[in-house]
Amino acid sequence: MQLKIKIKSGWNNTSLFGIVLIAPLLLWIVVMIVYPLISSIWMSLTDVDFLGINSNFVGISNYIELITDVEFWTAMGKSMIWTIGNALLQLILGFTTALIINQQFKGKSFVRIWIILSWIIPTIVLAIIWRWILNSSFGILNYILQLFNFVEQPIDFLGSFQLAMPTVIFINTWRWFPFLAIIILAALQTIPVEQYNAASIDGANSFQKFIYITFPMMRPTLSVLGLIGTLWSINIFDVIYMLTRGGPAGATETIPVFVYQKAFQEYAMNKASAAAVILFLFLSVFVVFYFKIEPTFREDNFLN
Amino acid sequence: MSFIKRKSKSKKRAVLKYVLILLLLGVIILPFYWIFISSVKPTDELIRAIPTFVPEKWTVNHYSNLFAASDYGQYLWNSFYVAFWTMLITVILASLGGYSIYRCSYPGKNLISKLILVAYIFPQVLILIPLYKVMSSFSLINNLWSLIIINVTICAPFGVWLLKTFFGTIPMAIEEAAAIDGASQFKTLYKIFIPLAAPGMATVAIYAFLTSWTEFLFANTFILDEELKTLPVGLARFITQYNVDWGLLTAGAMVTAIPPLVFFAFVGKNFVKGLTTGAIK
Repeated sequence: MQLKIKIKSGWNNTSLFGIVLIAPLLLWIVVMIVYPLISSIWMSLTDVDFLGINSNFVGISNYIELITDVEFWTAMGKSMIWTIGNALLQLILGFTTALIINQQFKGKSFVRIWIILSWIIPTIVLAIIWRWILNSSFGILNYILQLFNFVEQPIDFLGSFQLAMPTVIFINTWRWFPFLAIIILAALQTIPVEQYNAASIDGANSFQKFIYITFPMMRPTLSVLGLIGTLWSINIFDVIYMLTRGGPAGATETIPVFVYQKAFQEYAMNKASAAAVILFLFLSVFVVFYFKIEPTFREDNFLN
Repeated sequence: MSFIKRKSKSKKRAVLKYVLILLLLGVIILPFYWIFISSVKPTDELIRAIPTFVPEKWTVNHYSNLFAASDYGQYLWNSFYVAFWTMLITVILASLGGYSIYRCSYPGKNLISKLILVAYIFPQVLILIPLYKVMSSFSLINNLWSLIIINVTICAPFGVWLLKTFFGTIPMAIEEAAAIDGASQFKTLYKIFIPLAAPGMATVAIYAFLTSWTEFLFANTFILDEELKTLPVGLARFITQYNVDWGLLTAGAMVTAIPPLVFFAFVGKNFVKGLTTGAIK
């Protein structure tokens, strides 16, 4: 199902025009991403203060301070839980949903579009919706739980040290699984029906069809989703910040929240930069590793 | 006999199918229903111990308070301003860049396309701190253009990628034919490719709008003045107030959700199509 488009990259009569067209975007990316990235690495090696007036080179001392800081490692652990929890939940729900809505039913074109409602709304709306539903005094969920005697006392989902992380993961999954579902659905629909028919004639059952046809055919899509999804979810800041601000007592403080707090609450720009750089290195290693272990994955899946 | 058995089995399956679909729709839609009816209940009904599932009394008070007693109208305008320019600039940059990458040939292009790839999977929090300094050196802190610039940076790389299917699948023979007819490259671009890629550009535009409408991290950091805040930042401040006014907040959430919903109602079908063809090729 790959449609390969050759990227030619030698000089020819389209070169000049191509360079002129790419120049604005390239300049934009260099100024907004490449320069700040380098600047971030530099800052992490200095004792820069918030205003950036005094800055002396201090080598890797920020990094040493960071890796001996328990709060940093706690945040790393939270990031791992957050990422793995989201990946698993979203993949399972996304795949199941895709299989459900891939069937023939009345209103399928409506459902296949509007299912991503939870993805298109702004994060702040999502935060208000769930804070209101989960509210421990007036929230509808606690009312229902108490009505059916599941709990005696209302539960403070976002305010409890044990429950905050699972709750935030659940809310983020609610937002993203329909998005995954429609991408997986589109990939499911590229599988030729003939393959299933042929398998039926050979006496394969639904489970065998799934294992020997659906899954292998889905693998390239799943592998791209796996990579991009992981990178996206590791970097998520707004959902967590709006729901819990990283609390209670650091229960939901992932690395992006940690970096933000360090930089804009404690004004420790250098330590925040060092933490962000470690996250970036970590992601780079992850990407390289992913390319290695995932055979169906080619980086030109993205652009070529 | 076995025929009847199979029929009842398939009927059971059909029932199960619709039950699952309804469950799915419920999971997605019920939270929205709840926030909507909460926004039209009077405050005393809103915080009643036994909630009402259909409002006993309907009111638009929360909505009128929202615009009369808070800066919501100003936030709304700021968000529109930022989203509009983000959309426009993103579509232009991504279209030009997409055409360049998928239709032209020059040395270093592979490197550039990799750079674009890196740009859209990048931890935003990593560039937040240095960008704060970049923005302040250009006196753009406390200026909506800092948000437009950063939103374009977030959206344009993904936009290039979305346009791949639109630019990449048009046969090369089209350019050759146009060149034989004496059309310039620029003329070929805007007479042939822009119209062909229009659905893709619409997808990029909506993506840019949605991203800009929801963006919080940079808006919360770069904007200091109350009258320059965008919706997500403005509303986030309502949440953290000591006495949360849930009527106001749910009304604010409803109004904030409406522009993306209206947008989506018109072009949702093409948007989903554009998004998925981009993802699976």
